[in-house]
Amino acid sequence: MSTAGKRILMAKTGLDGHWRGPTVVAKALRDAGFEVIMIGMARPEEVMQASIDEDVDLVGLNIGGHVDVAVRAIGMVRESRPEVPIFVGGVVPPHAKRKLEGLGVEVYPPGSQLPDIVAAAMRLTGAA
Amino acid sequence: MAVSQLSAQDTDQLLERARAGDRGALARLISVLERGGDAAASVERGLSSRGAGGYTVGITGAPGAGKSTLVNTLLGEALADAGRVALLAVDPTSPLSRGALLGDRVRMHSHAASSQVFIRSMASRGQLGGLAVATRSARRLLEACGWPLILIETVGVGQVELDVASTTDTVVVVLNPGWGDEVQANKAGLMEVADIFVINKADKAGLQATRRDLESALASLPAERRPAIVETVASEGRGAADLWAAIASHREAITLSGELASRRQQQLRAELHGLIDARLEAELDQLFASGAADTHLEAVAAGALDMAAAGDVLLRELCRRASAAIAG
Amino acid sequence: MNSNNGNGRVWNTASGLHLKNFYAPEDVPESHRKHVAVPPGESPFHRGAYPTGYRTKPWRIFQLSGFGKPEDENERIRFLLEQGETGFIMEHDRNTGDHCYNVDHPDVVARREDVGLTGAVMQSVRDIDICMKDLPLATSYGHAGGAVVQHAPFALAGYWTVAKQRGVDLARLPGTGQSDFFLTYLGCVTKQQIPTRDGLRFNADIMEFCDKHLPRWVPVSIAGYNGADTGLNAYQELGALFANAVEYLEEIKRRNTMSLENAARACGGVNFRASMDLFEEASKMRAARLMWQQLLERRYGITNPKVANLRIHCVTAGSRMTYQQPLNNIVRGTVMALAAALGGVQSLGVSGYDEALSIPSEHAHQMSVRIQQILQEETNIQAVTDPLGGSYYVETLTAELVERAWEFFDEIMEQGGFLASLDSGWLHERAAENQSEDFRQQESGEQVIIGVTDHKDDVSPFDVDGFMGVDDAYDVALERLHEVRRTRYEKGASQALGALESVCRDGENIMPAMMDALAAEVTLGEIGDVYRSVFGDWATPIQT
Ligand code: B12
Ligand SMILES: Nc1nc2c(ncn2[C@@H]2O[C@H](COP(=O)(O)OP(=O)(O)OP(=O)(O)O)[C@@H](O)[C@H]2O)c(=O)[nH]1
Ligand SMILES: [Mg+2]
Repeated sequence: MSTAGKRILMAKTGLDGHWRGPTVVAKALRDAGFEVIMIGMARPEEVMQASIDEDVDLVGLNIGGHVDVAVRAIGMVRESRPEVPIFVGGVVPPHAKRKLEGLGVEVYPPGSQLPDIVAAAMRLTGAA
Repeated sequence: MAVSQLSAQDTDQLLERARAGDRGALARLISVLERGGDAAASVERGLSSRGAGGYTVGITGAPGAGKSTLVNTLLGEALADAGRVALLAVDPTSPLSRGALLGDRVRMHSHAASSQVFIRSMASRGQLGGLAVATRSARRLLEACGWPLILIETVGVGQVELDVASTTDTVVVVLNPGWGDEVQANKAGLMEVADIFVINKADKAGLQATRRDLESALASLPAERRPAIVETVASEGRGAADLWAAIASHREAITLSGELASRRQQQLRAELHGLIDARLEAELDQLFASGAADTHLEAVAAGALDMAAAGDVLLRELCRRASAAIAG
Repeated sequence: MNSNNGNGRVWNTASGLHLKNFYAPEDVPESHRKHVAVPPGESPFHRGAYPTGYRTKPWRIFQLSGFGKPEDENERIRFLLEQGETGFIMEHDRNTGDHCYNVDHPDVVARREDVGLTGAVMQSVRDIDICMKDLPLATSYGHAGGAVVQHAPFALAGYWTVAKQRGVDLARLPGTGQSDFFLTYLGCVTKQQIPTRDGLRFNADIMEFCDKHLPRWVPVSIAGYNGADTGLNAYQELGALFANAVEYLEEIKRRNTMSLENAARACGGVNFRASMDLFEEASKMRAARLMWQQLLERRYGITNPKVANLRIHCVTAGSRMTYQQPLNNIVRGTVMALAAALGGVQSLGVSGYDEALSIPSEHAHQMSVRIQQILQEETNIQAVTDPLGGSYYVETLTAELVERAWEFFDEIMEQGGFLASLDSGWLHERAAENQSEDFRQQESGEQVIIGVTDHKDDVSPFDVDGFMGVDDAYDVALERLHEVRRTRYEKGASQALGALESVCRDGENIMPAMMDALAAEVTLGEIGDVYRSVFGDWATPIQT
């Protein structure tokens, strides 16, 4: 399998503008051959709608704010597209990480190396 | 289920669901069309030719001209009129990695969660001309699913591309102030393609000069064929209503004059041409990949066979394979 | 690092300046040597802004703080003051503050748990009053919040209104806002904000207003920090910061409403980042002072030593604080603080050791203060001004940074100036290039980060969980918003808002009308709505 034609959604759940993290991650995924659909700062329902309309194979969330906003987005995606894997990164303190992992979401906190994130995307989309 | 494993029965079912309003099914079918192959062909078979109801507007222009921002403001106007709007937004695929960053949605938050708006980002996947291979069939799918108005944002193209004209009913070309030279250089192409000119970023210096250049380029056209020029500041929502009015009046004019019908005929022609083109090309790639050309290539290299003769042989082989594929 | 032995390794500064094995007198550029002999406090000031340095005035311990309800933030500020902080910073909630939304805005409601996470929610002067309870306004240097350009007029007017109500004479009130372009036009691009040209107008309005009414207030503080932590390297940070200052000075010159010297004084209190390359960062502060003197003299003919001495607030690089093995960050904070102190800054904030996890916990905040106190009290560092002065290495590096920074400054000018380089996304591209390069170097092993790329095993018995915040900020803010609307004198509020709108439209100085609006208990979101209808939205050049 390859990454060709695999689609990944990249959204920011917070209203903070930190763009470094999502941008470097999106570029790394593009360079690995993924189609990355950027939607910027999105409300939970926007994340859900985009994950449906864009028929993505993986949902990526950058968390810049409170984890519960992301949890809500995750819940909505799960309801409409239960089969789609989700991975997240950004400001994720240990308690938030535990909460997210408890929901079956993979977490890539600050300091994560890009090759590891790309490898996860390949695994989660079945490209590797 | 993975898109690649769908049977004809699956795609029929998906199509039925999509027609009944299931957006997940619609979205999945677009992926099927993007992927091509048998499943795509079976979706195509399920789509009858275009219904009369749908209307398609193309938005084209150079990278960063403000197409997406403009679409965002236009959606508000279009919704008020059409009730529901679908958008296909095409961005370029990186030729190196074959990956893509599809960023048009970032500009489209105003309607991103609306059930009346369907937005789909498409990577060009190697297709030149500003569209993706599957853009046309995706448009037909959307029409079949009852979307009355479809906007297509092309890849930001440097020069004028004709594909959008052969795919949409009204073509909006987006320019920016300070682009007088580009207007001069592309005069012929622009006039061939554009039904409406937008000078977006009208807040920037050079607006009047660009307008003058454009007007003088268009002066030779008879008044009734002269495209409207609309000034917008998309980032502030200014001019969207004017643009929408210009689109509506163009639509009305070509409907009344009968030009719409002939355009549609042209579109079908281009589409069919494109479809066969794509299938032949796939077949040709396979032909070379299978090694069938190797002996002929060697013969050409050794001087035993001339190019034209080698071409004849392979073309015959290609036709044989293509018709076998259809029969099979 | 595989090339620790030095074999084949190229040694550069963090910004990529090539480094020699050691430096000799002849390495210091000829043109720079004459500056070395000039004592601190004299032009060109690269050896120090003041003659007696930290002996007479230790650097200010100045920590960013804020979360939750205004009273939560007030409590934290008072805690920090008790710990020995010598100024205080009020931080407004970014969801509401930075965007000028009230909490009932749909974009905020959709993220309600987020409200109060990184600053206190202050929607009207009543909230600001709560946050300022018992703070030593008249005697302590206060940062009123308003780091974000479009938010600054509200935050400042709120602070000043409360100060006035408490009987403090504005003419004697010390403090700053920040109103920084780097923060939200380069670094953290907000979802909605006024275009840069209108932001420039706001900042010039604030400068004029302070010139008339608050002479001790630092009206704007250009924060190269925000550019640097977004990715600009040391000389890019310098070049961009001064290109920004030029925008302010040119605007004031064009208006001709206050003296250019006063304007220069008004933007001569700036903010830099101190990162981990110890000597480059210390040199950067020295280079900055030299550049400011050069800029004012060459471009504006200003030589007044009370104006040409740049004063620097410095913050340690948050981006160098790691999520992994967070206690290591105490060491990093110390080293970066040392760089700043060696560079002779006037004011310093040290990022918390839990920086990558959350806003600072009380303990992390205390540590940030302690680090500075230890440096000040235990190391004798305050005894001698510009201790690195005359070092062949540091002087060479200082001169080289100045040279590169002016080149970068010229590049920005070629782009049409600082604001144009933001509008077009040119500056964002420079930052993004460096970000990608950083990751490349981490992958190749050229850049080592302990605990992240190397030595990843941690045996610390301490769990660092970060700060948990409070969970009632949204609810309380919503209640208070309703209460203000219910109990304020509605006619007065709506008149003040109407007046503010006309001022926004017709271009008069916005601050007097803003003061009236705050006094009349107009709320933040109402003011934001005026901005949105009058100014529209900045055409954000980047896609995130
Ligand atoms: C640099 C920085 C900034 C820069 C902007 C950088 C930018 N353009 O992105 C500046 C200085 C402008 C800035 C401003 C502010 N910041 Co800031 N900032 C940081 C800092 C120091 C580093 C972030 C960073 O860029 N790291 C480098 C990138 C590459 O790492 P990353 O984003 O973590 O991404 C990595 C992983 O998380 C992961 N990842 C990220 N996204 C995704 C997505 C997916 C799908 C996956 C799989 C992985 C993944 O992969 C990346 C590679 O490893 C962090 C603290 C820290 N050390 O993390 C604070 C921090 C994020 N900022 C914070 C705050 C509060 C602010 C301000 C509000 C402060 C202020 N009042 O001025 C403002 C924001 C204003 C606003 N409107 O939003 C807080 C947020 C607190 C919270 N959420 O609880 C932090 C945590 C600092 C703190 N402790 O207070 N900031
Ligand atoms: N000043 C100004 N900027 C605008 C205007 N409209 C759009 N922009 C800005 O122009 C930049 C590009 O806008 P987009 O809408 O992404 O342009 P695009 O044509 O869709 O770009 P591609 O899809 O990448 O080809 C963004 O920074 C917008 O904010 C306008 O009317 N005035
Ligand atoms: Mg676009």
